[in-house]
Parts: sequence; C-alpha cells; structure tokens
Amino acid sequence: MSRDSNYDHHISIFSPQGRLYQMEYAFKAASSASGLTGIALRGRDSCVVVTQRRVPDRLVVPSSVSHVHAITSRIGVLATGMTSDCHAAVQRMRYEAADFEFRYGYPMPPSSLARRMADLAQVNTQSASMRPLACVLLIVGIDDEMGPQVLKVDPAGHYLPFVGAASGSKEQEATNFLEKRVDDLKGYGLDEAVRTAIVCLGSVLGSDFRGNEIEVAFVQRGKGGGGGKFRSLTEEEIEEHLNAIADDADA
Amino acid sequence: MASSGSGYDLSSSTFSPDGRIFQIEYAAKAVENAGTALGLRCADGVVLAVEKPLVNRMLVARTTGGYTRSTSTRASRSRVSSATAGRSLTGRGRRRAITRRHHGTKIPPATLSSRISAYVHYFTLHGALRPFGASTLVAAYDTGTKRHSLHMIEPSGVCYEYYGAAAGRGRQPARTEMEKLVVNPSRVPEGGEMISVSEGVRQLAKIIHSLHDDAKDKPFELEMSWLCEGSGWKHEGVPREIIAGAVEWAKKEIENEGENDEEGDDDEDDEMEE
Repeated sequence: MSRDSNYDHHISIFSPQGRLYQMEYAFKAASSASGLTGIALRGRDSCVVVTQRRVPDRLVVPSSVSHVHAITSRIGVLATGMTSDCHAAVQRMRYEAADFEFRYGYPMPPSSLARRMADLAQVNTQSASMRPLACVLLIVGIDDEMGPQVLKVDPAGHYLPFVGAASGSKEQEATNFLEKRVDDLKGYGLDEAVRTAIVCLGSVLGSDFRGNEIEVAFVQRGKGGGGGKFRSLTEEEIEEHLNAIADDADA
Repeated sequence: MASSGSGYDLSSSTFSPDGRIFQIEYAAKAVENAGTALGLRCADGVVLAVEKPLVNRMLVARTTGGYTRSTSTRASRSRVSSATAGRSLTGRGRRRAITRRHHGTKIPPATLSSRISAYVHYFTLHGALRPFGASTLVAAYDTGTKRHSLHMIEPSGVCYEYYGAAAGRGRQPARTEMEKLVVNPSRVPEGGEMISVSEGVRQLAKIIHSLHDDAKDKPFELEMSWLCEGSGWKHEGVPREIIAGAVEWAKKEIENEGENDEEGDDDEDDEMEE
C-alpha cells in the first residue's frame, strides 16, 4: 500500500489519491488512544450511554475518571478518544449550549449542538493551524419535537443521528451487535434499553462487569413530553441491572 | 511503521500513522528528566514535596525560585521541570483564581485544575506552539464542600484527582511507595486510619531521600509545603524545623531498612536450604 508518505504530514494537503491522511490518523487516535469502547442507544422514550470505567492507577481518585459528561441538565455526552481532547470538546459544548440558550431563549436541541460541534471539527480539517481533536462524541438528549436523540460526531465533522451507535476500540463489533436489534430498540423502555446497552458492551469485550467497572447514564422523557434530566446511575443501580441481566440469562 | 516518530514528531498538530502525537510524548519525557515532585492527600490536609536539584555548586541554596507557589491562599501548585513553563502556568493559575473571586466565591479545586488543564491542552493543538514541559500538582481546599484535594495536570492536558501523585525522575518507585501508605479512604484496613499530614511529611521526605542517589545525582534541596487544618487551610511552606526533623527520621529509616534487607537475605537462604 503506497502511503504517499509525503502527503500525510499536514491536514491541509490531499494525497494524489484524494485522501486526507492526517484525518485518518486522527480517527486512529480517537479509537485507540484510550482503549475504551462506548455505546449509546435510544429506546421509546429514553437514551442510554454506557462505557467502561478504567482507573489508570490505584492512586487516582476513581470519581475523577469519567468519560460521561452532562453538557446541560438535559443533554449528555459520552466522549471517547484522547482524554484531554475530550475534555476540551466537552468544555466547548457547555459553552455553546449555554450561549445558545442565552441568545435564543430556549434550550439548545441536541441535534443543533451536534451540528455546531461538527462544524467546528470540520474547520480543523481544512485549516492547518489547529489539529483535529482526537475524540468521538456520542451526544444524547430528548428533543421536544423529535423525541430521544443519539447523535455521533467524529473528528472529520460528520454528524448523524442514530438509533444505536458505538465508538472506540470495539466500535465495529458493538455496531454489529446493535444492528441485529435495531427494530426491537425502538420499543424499549428505560430498563430494557439500559440492559441492552450493558449486554452489548459485555459481549464485545467478552467479559462480565462489576458495578464500579462501567459507567451508565441516561436521559428520559420527562412529564409533559419534554426532556428529563441527564444523569448517571449509581454503583448500586448498575448492580441491580447486572443482577437482572444475570437472572434473565439463567432463566 | 513509523513508531520512531521520524517526520511525525516535529509539530503538535501532526498525528503519526498510528494515531499518536509525539510532541506530547516528548514533553512528558522532559518532565521525566526533572527532579521528583510528590503530592499526598492525607486525612487532614495535602502535602507537597519537591526535589530541587542544585544545578551549580556555586548556587546559594534556598534562593532559587520556589517550585511551589501559592495560587491563592487556598490553593497551591508545584511544578516539575522547565522553570519558565512553570512560572507561566502559575501565573495563569493565579489569574484564574482571582477571576473566580470576582464571581463572589473562591474557585473550587476541580474547576481551577480543569481550567489549567484546558490551558495546557491548548498548547498541544497548534503547530505554532509547543506543549508545556511541566507537570503541575495542585493542592487545594474547597471552602464550600470543606474538602481538600490533590490534582495533577500532565503536559498532555490530562487532569485527574489523586490520593498520591508523583512526577519527575523518581515517579515510578515513588508511586509504588505511596500505594503502601494509607491514603485511599475506601481502603483503610481494619483498626487503621488514614495517614495524617505530619506523618505524610515524613513519608514524603523518606521517599525523596531514598530515591536520590548521592553518587549519580546532583545535591538537592527538599522543598515541602502543606495545606492543612493546622495551617488554617492556607498554603504554607512546612516550617524548616519540621522538614529537618522529617529528613533526619527519613535517613534513619532508610539506613535501618538497608540493614534489614541484608538480614532478610540471610533468612531466605536458610529457608531455601530447608
């Protein structure tokens, strides 16, 4: 495979085959940098995100290690990739969402936020001064008109709404798992959605978890049809779901 | 494969074919070459300790700039490696802390660390800039939650909260030693308690002294500071007498352990013969 090695040092240079190598390397960094896999899916009236919680060493306070962040009280994101790039993206999202609400007087819809982050990401693919952020964002929220939304934003600036999406090192396997269940997903309530996401992660990683080894967060449609709050499950709540999954498996 | 980085390692804005940014990794190496800095979160406060090599015999000790600086009275930062990088980061940290006071409240530790880490991260994005060759340890007290904490920000911008943090030359062995101390509140053994600040001062002095090789490394000065109940949750230098006492204790402990190791070896031989 000819690597056109002269063309891959800068983002603003196409290779003779029309590829942007720096973009491809950025994707590589986003999927393999942290070694984690993240999954987001939506059900009938809720969205769920799940990822592994891997604490780098025993001297780190576990609660400070998290890839799941609330952007506003109603929109959450699962950011996978280079940790500091994810952090920067989350900060920017918080700013954009707050600014939107200030300017226009109503909460920013998840799809608008995704579009905004995608546009910002695209700029970095065309201008040589700043490199692309090596992180994939799975944005979840309840849209007033369109219901539960899962949107994936990648370093290239693509953004698309999904019924189920994955990111990180086992992205392909997780996507295959979700594809088989895409018709069922639309009818799932919150508990089923959470358990499907956890089972998906478990099957692609080939292992079982304990409550403190994964992060799970969700947002559910609130009263009156609008969006409820985005929040993370506690360790006990995760254990409950894990037990329910084990019981189902035995039965 | 270009895992040597050749050609892809000249700029922060270039990814290598396997998705790494070598400039960030090289900045981390710059930190690894510097003297050790340690931070320990104890039950009643946070202790910071830095090994300051005296680069020149002609230098008058205690007059080289403090590696540990107060950002505001309730937060302090200690940095490893490049003196100028550290000064710039301290300055930034101070400006951040002051801005927050204008919001009517003292800046919470997590927010201060997050802002510093965002600043450090910015320098890893642009080709025109280079990453900071410095790791920053932030010890701080949150007047709202009444909780003290320790954060460390690496040249890549990654920031975590720590029970015990180490940066610089001796960080691997230092981490191993710190893991043995009781700093994790969820792992306190039966009948034990979390380490106190005064004990923390002694343990850190011991770690730094045991890592220092008199033959190979330059003579150094040990700088320590703390943020604890005793100091009214203000960041202060540990009083010199306490440091001196800790160093004396540390040296004795290291000597004793040296002897015990020799005895231990004899015992092992006996067991094997049996």
